[in-house]
Formats: sequence, structure tokens, C-alpha cells
Amino acid sequence: MKMAVIAITGTAMLFTSCKKENNEPDPTINLSKLAEGYASGAATKVVVYTKEATISTGYTKLYIALYDSVTNNRVDDAHIHLSPLMDMGTMKHAAPYENPDEEAVNHLFPSTVTFIMSSMGGSWTIGISVHNHSNGKEGSLTIPVTVTEPAKTKIKSFTAAHDGGKYFVALTEPASPKVGINDLEFVLYKKTSMMSFPADSSLTMTFIPEMPSMGHSSPNNVNPTHIGNGHYKGKVNFTMTGLWRLNMDFTSNGAVADTTQYIDIEF
Amino acid sequence: MKRFISTISLLLAYNHLFANNSFHDTTKVIELNEVVVLGKTSKQQLVHFYKTNQASTLEDILGRLPELSFVRRGAYGMEPSIRSFSGGQINVLIDGMRIHGACTDKMDPATIYIEPMNLQNLQLQTSTNGFTSGSTIGGTINMKMAEAGFSDQPSVKTSVLSGYQTAANSFFESLVLNVSNKKWAIRLNGTYRNSSNYKAGNGSVIPFTQYEKTNYALSVKYRRSAYTYLKLDYLGDDGWNIGYPALPMDVGFASAKIASISLNYENFRKRFQSGTLKIYANTIRHYMDDTKRPNVPMHMDMPGYSTTAGFISQSTLKLFNNHLLHLSVDASATYLKASMTMYAPGEPPMFMLTWPDNRKIQSGVSALWNIPVDSNWNVQLAARIDYFGYELTSQSAKEQTSILGYPSTSRNNLLKNSSVRITRNLHRNFRISAGISYSERMPTASELYGFYLYNRSDNHDYIGNLLLKPEHSYNTELSTQYQGYKTKITITGFYNKVGNYIYGMLLPGYSAMTIGASGVKSYTNLSSVIFTGFEATVISSIRSDLFLTSALKYIHAEKSDRTPVPFISPAKNTTSLRYQKNNYSIQLEYEAAAQQKKIDANAGEDKTSGYQLIHIRGGYNFNIKSTNLLVQTGAENLFNKFYHDHLDWGNIARPGRNLYIQLKVSW
Repeated sequence: MKMAVIAITGTAMLFTSCKKENNEPDPTINLSKLAEGYASGAATKVVVYTKEATISTGYTKLYIALYDSVTNNRVDDAHIHLSPLMDMGTMKHAAPYENPDEEAVNHLFPSTVTFIMSSMGGSWTIGISVHNHSNGKEGSLTIPVTVTEPAKTKIKSFTAAHDGGKYFVALTEPASPKVGINDLEFVLYKKTSMMSFPADSSLTMTFIPEMPSMGHSSPNNVNPTHIGNGHYKGKVNFTMTGLWRLNMDFTSNGAVADTTQYIDIEF
Repeated sequence: MKRFISTISLLLAYNHLFANNSFHDTTKVIELNEVVVLGKTSKQQLVHFYKTNQASTLEDILGRLPELSFVRRGAYGMEPSIRSFSGGQINVLIDGMRIHGACTDKMDPATIYIEPMNLQNLQLQTSTNGFTSGSTIGGTINMKMAEAGFSDQPSVKTSVLSGYQTAANSFFESLVLNVSNKKWAIRLNGTYRNSSNYKAGNGSVIPFTQYEKTNYALSVKYRRSAYTYLKLDYLGDDGWNIGYPALPMDVGFASAKIASISLNYENFRKRFQSGTLKIYANTIRHYMDDTKRPNVPMHMDMPGYSTTAGFISQSTLKLFNNHLLHLSVDASATYLKASMTMYAPGEPPMFMLTWPDNRKIQSGVSALWNIPVDSNWNVQLAARIDYFGYELTSQSAKEQTSILGYPSTSRNNLLKNSSVRITRNLHRNFRISAGISYSERMPTASELYGFYLYNRSDNHDYIGNLLLKPEHSYNTELSTQYQGYKTKITITGFYNKVGNYIYGMLLPGYSAMTIGASGVKSYTNLSSVIFTGFEATVISSIRSDLFLTSALKYIHAEKSDRTPVPFISPAKNTTSLRYQKNNYSIQLEYEAAAQQKKIDANAGEDKTSGYQLIHIRGGYNFNIKSTNLLVQTGAENLFNKFYHDHLDWGNIARPGRNLYIQLKVSW
């Protein structure tokens, strides 16, 4: 009987996978698998993908695929909640994150975690709790993550002069910089406690791109403005390839919050 | 050779003096007949007068023409200007072919590709017919390459030329081979020049004035019938290690390949008198080099690439009552790209397109109608229409240019030119000619698309402006000519009002790309700029053995706010006296330039003092059996004057005393 079920399921899987190959491309084709496990209690298999094979500090996109652990069918309607946690032995803290919508996009639940430090200082884990709307069950799992420090960091933190608050700013775009006009996007978070890093929209952001080795800027850049959930969107123009430094200034209603931070982009 | 010298002498002495008062000598457009080439207009007489010095570069010779000046950035590759118009304001053509330099810094004007011994004839068209071979406001320099003539008897002629000059410790070697018979006429020539850094008048060596180059040309003519022949031309030019002391970089290697094939027809007894159909292509590569410069903040590579292909169809029709109609149809496409890569240690290379890949398509039609009203009146009408289209050709060029925020990166313009000239013989020896013209010129690729092109003169980076309007000019010219028994005097005055004059203006808020540059400029159209001036030429055979040429020029140019226009040559005079007796010749040359105080400091100019120079030249011509030998020697800048000209960038001193000796052997 057991054999029969496996055989039937196996045949069905073969069948469906054939069908899928014919009809739609694998949504994870350009992604790397980060972790896989079962959300116990939700009868759901959770597979986490990322764009890069290694995870670096900064704004990191996670693509979560859910499968019914009985039928192995994809689950496209679920509520997922992330809980990133850094355990440094003597202390623990969380990190900013963005939960996915309840509807999957192309069978994947896109979400983000902004790692504010590398795994050098401790151990990163991400708790993933799933409310599977197709079977109505809830459960969770925790996956370990190794976060490295990239050559050019994409996240900076500062203590604001106007309110003493600790802010984190991470570059989200351009992911593939080019000579020409590039979409520029930052995400801004404020640390309100060790476990709480809500998105912030209270600061006004300006920036000047510069080539440090040449000492020149570029024309016609557009300062990022807040578009929601702490995301600030603008345009950055690169006149040539090489190392560019984005010098950022933050103000709050005219009061200077910080003028010391920069993020380097190299291409 | 003796015959050649005596031919020139004869022509200088007699031909022009007794020549028919042809109305064409200020308006010459199409010359297919080689016989009429020598000693036709004052300009051509001057060219041939100074061409007799075998060591001259083309720039040396052309610089003697009062209409022409040269903007100098090094010992080599000077940029010609006609009545202070240069670059995109004039056409510099080789046998009618368009050639676009591959250097964003204008190091390679087309004049560098013609060695004087490869120059058959120069057509300098200004004013009313300056635009007939291409829409332009400043005029046209067309250099006609030398070619062999057909001969009834099979003939092989060889010349070898070798010379040495002291100022730059330079030497050159040339070879010309002419082979011809009734059906075939083949000319092969080559020149090699090698020059070290020259010494200025104070004895100091001017660094980065060295150059090395070779130039080679092949011309093959095949006669198909009594009135038609096919012609194939190939010209190659390679230069190495060419110094440009007034620029931050030199040239490591530059190469030009210029080829054409043409079908030529002439039959002056027919209504369809002459015609040419030519198809041509040329390609130029240019690599700038800073590896030999001291204190370079960052090494960079700056390669440039240009290729042009096109056709020219010209014909001359003889209409009723000796009316002549010259018609021309031509089209060309020019592809340009240039880039810069800078290398900072430990960083990825910085790559940028300085000329984003672009293509210019030009097609035009022109007509010039010469109407001999009667023996004393002549009217000439000319008109030309040109269609220009510019576009970027690569995705990376479009993406980079998008930074500047123009609604479109392509340009299309229809340019219109027209002119009238009326000539009147007032007396057997005296003629007056008046012309008015309207002409337009298209902005250049640098003016439209240039991306942080560094200008050493004003220390600014320049970026293009895709909204530039074409420049236009209303030009009036009045010319009088006296032609007596021994003397010809031509005086020409002009008034030229240029609208939408293209001028570099500071772009506030832009940061300069070049390390050390003061800022960024872009081009803008100035409403009105006025150029006025005159040229006077005297050519005289004082005695049968004594020839005098003298040319004087003056230009005044101002913007609408009455401030001076940059890079205007001061008043200049060049006078030469040549004594020619039997096989000997001695020539004394006097060159004087006034000071120039009318300057545009925004363009990086400063005041320049005047100078006076004396050159002395001698020649001896003799035969050993059937071999002709010509020895020439002389001293240029005899008194070792330390000076620079107003148009010399960076106030780099010119060469001091230069002694030369050269030998030409022909058999």
C-alpha cells in the first residue's frame, strides 16, 4: 500500500513536473537554495531561496516557496512572518525585515531581511512562522544563516544628531549598476529596541555621487524621496564605470541628522 | 626637374600676367584638367611658389595663404582655419572626400595626410562658393592628390628626396615613381619623417615635439576611351610617438587608410564637358598616450575610431551662350566612437565613452551656374541643400547620453546655402567682384555628443548639447583685382555676420571629470558674431629673374556684446623675394605678425606679442647625364627669434634657427 502511494505520488510528480517544464519555467531558476525544512504543525515544507549564493550584510531578498507536505503541491496563499535573530552569546538582537504578502508572486513569497552585521559576531537565525491558508494550519521553523561582510558594504548605521536615535540605511538599488541613469533606492530603519527595527520615513535624504579617486560627481541625479515602508527612491547617474561613492545627508525638518555616511558602488 | 622649375617660373612670370581675364579665378570649383592647374589664381600661385621648397610640410605651404591660419598644439597636426573658421565650420577634403578625424582633441586634421609632394593642387573656396562641396559657413579646403598623366610614349620617372634639418634633428626620405603609357598612368610615392624635440630660439629643447610618420600613396589611372578613364587611389598614413606639448597627452599610434575609385570623363567640345563619379571610404584609428609624460595623476587610454564612406558625383555642363553649370550630388556616412579608460590602483577600470558611438549621414545637392552676361559682366549663382542626420548607434551610448536628459538623442536638419557673385571688368587691367551669400553648417559630433572632452586651452571639460541650432552666416565680400603687365594685385574685404554661433559656456553645478580642470562647459548658440577683415596679395615679376610675392591679412571679430571672439589671428604679412638665374635661386622671406590684444580670456587666451622672422633659402639645380639633381639649403628663423604665434596653444615656443639641406634626384 505504502509502495503504491509512493509509486502513484511519484508518477504524479513526474507527470506534473513534466507538465510544468512544458508550460512554465521554474521560478527559482536564477536563485540559490538557502535552506529547506518543515514548518512543524503547518504540514508545510518551506524552501528559502536567495539571489546570491552567499548572503552578505545589508538588504537581502529571500524568496520562500511553500509546499503541502502531504501532496507536495505548491502553496500560494499563506501568511508568513519572519523573526531574524542574532545570538551573540551575551546578548541577542533582531534585524529589520519585510514580511511577504499573503499571495505568492509566481509561486514564491518575496520577503527581505536587512542583516545589520555579519556572522563574525555571533549566529544568525531566521524564524519563519507559516499560516498555511490552504489547510488552515500554523507552524514554524528556524533556519541558520551565515552572513558575510562584502568588500563594499551596502548598509550603514548612524546615531542621529537631532534625536539621538540609531538609524540603519541600506542600499537596495541599483542591484546591477551601469553607465547611464540608474534607479536608486535606499531603505531606512530606526532601532527602537533590541528586538524592534521599524521602517522609518521621518528623515529627508539627499546624496551626491562621487568618484573618490577622481574627485568628480555626475550631473542630474534625483534625490531619493520616501515611497512607503521606509523605502526612498531616486535616480543616480554614473558617467563611467569604476568606484563610485554615494555620499548621503539626512535631515529631519531642516535639522541635520547625519552627514557622515556613504556607500560605495563598484562596477 | 629643371623643366619643372622653369615651368613654374614661366608660369609665375608670364602665364598669369598674360592670361585671359577668366572670371573663374575667384570662383574655381571643378578642375579636372591638370594643365590649367599651375598658376591660375593668386592662391594657387602662392601654393606653387612655396611648394618649391621640397622640405616644406603642407602646413608650411598653406600657412602662407592669407586666408588660412593654423591652430597649433604641437609640432605636428596643426588645425587649419579659414578666416578664423575651423573645425566643423569648414570642410577639409582630400580629392573631395570627407574625412573625419578620430581624435576628440582635433590632433588629426585631414591636412596631415597630404605630403606636399603628393599635393597636385589646392582648391580653397571661400565666401560665395565655399559651400558648394558641403554646407559650411567658413569655406572649403580641398587638397587634390598628385597623379600621373598619360603619355604617348611609355615613360618611367623616379624621384628620390632626402633632407635633414637642425632645429629638431629631423630627417625625411621620399620616393616618387611615375609609370605611364597611353592606357595606364601609375604613381607610387612614399615619405618617411622622423623628428626629435626641437630647439626654441633661446636654445631650450621643447619637450614632446617629436614625431615619426610614414605616408604612402598609390594612384592608378586606366584610360577606357578618349574621354574617360578609371582611377583608383589609395593613401595610407601611419604616425608614432607624436608629441603635443600643448595637450596633456601625446599620440602613441595613429593610422589612416583612405581609398577611392572614380570614373572620370572630360570632353570640352561637348555640352557635357566633364564629370566624375567617385566612391570612397576611409578609416582612421587614433590612440592617445600619456605614458611618457611626467607627473600623470592617473594613467589613461583614449582610443578613437572614425570611418566614412560615401560617393560624389560632379558634372559640368556647357549651356547656351557659354553658360556653365556645375552640378554635384554627394552623400556620406560617418561613424565615430572614442572612449577613455582610466586606471586607479586597486580599483576597477573607469571606462567612459567620450564620443558615444554615433553615425552622421549627410546627403546634398549643389548647383553653381556661371553666366557670362557680356565680355565685361559675369554673374554666378550657387545653391546647396544638405540633409544631415545624426544618431547614436549603441545601447551603451544611448544609456550614457541619457544622463544629460535630452528628449531625443538623434538630430535631423536640412541645411540651405545660396549665393550670388557679380564680377565686372572696369578696365582691361582692373576688375571688381562683389558677392553675398547665406550659408549654414551642422554642429559637429563633439558639439552634440561630446562627453567630458577636456579642452586644455580653457581648462574645462566640454559636454555636447543636442539642442544646438545649426550655425548660419550672412557673408558679403568685395574683391578688386589689378592685373598689369608685370604685377597682379588682389584686395578682398569681407563682412561676415554669423548667427547661432556655437560657443562654449560654463555649466554651473557640473563637476569637472578631468583631474585639475576648472569646470564643465557646454556649447550654446550666440545670437550674433561679426567677422570683418581683408586680404591683400601682390605677385610681381619685378624683372625677368626677380619675383616678389606678398600677402597681408587682417581680421577683426566680435560678439554682440562687443567682446572679442577667441583665436583670431593678428594682422600678418609674408613677403618673399626670389632671385632666379640659370640654375641658381636665392629666396629671402620676411614674416611678420602684429601683436594680438583682443582676446577672450574665457576661452583661455592671453595676449601675444608680435614677431618678425627672416628666412633665407637657396637652390642649385644641375644634371649629370640624364639625372637631374636639386640641392636646396637654407635657414629658417635666421635670427633665432624666441617667439610663439597667437594661435599656438599653451604659448609653446616655436622652433629657433633651423638650418636645412636636402637633395632631390630625379631620373
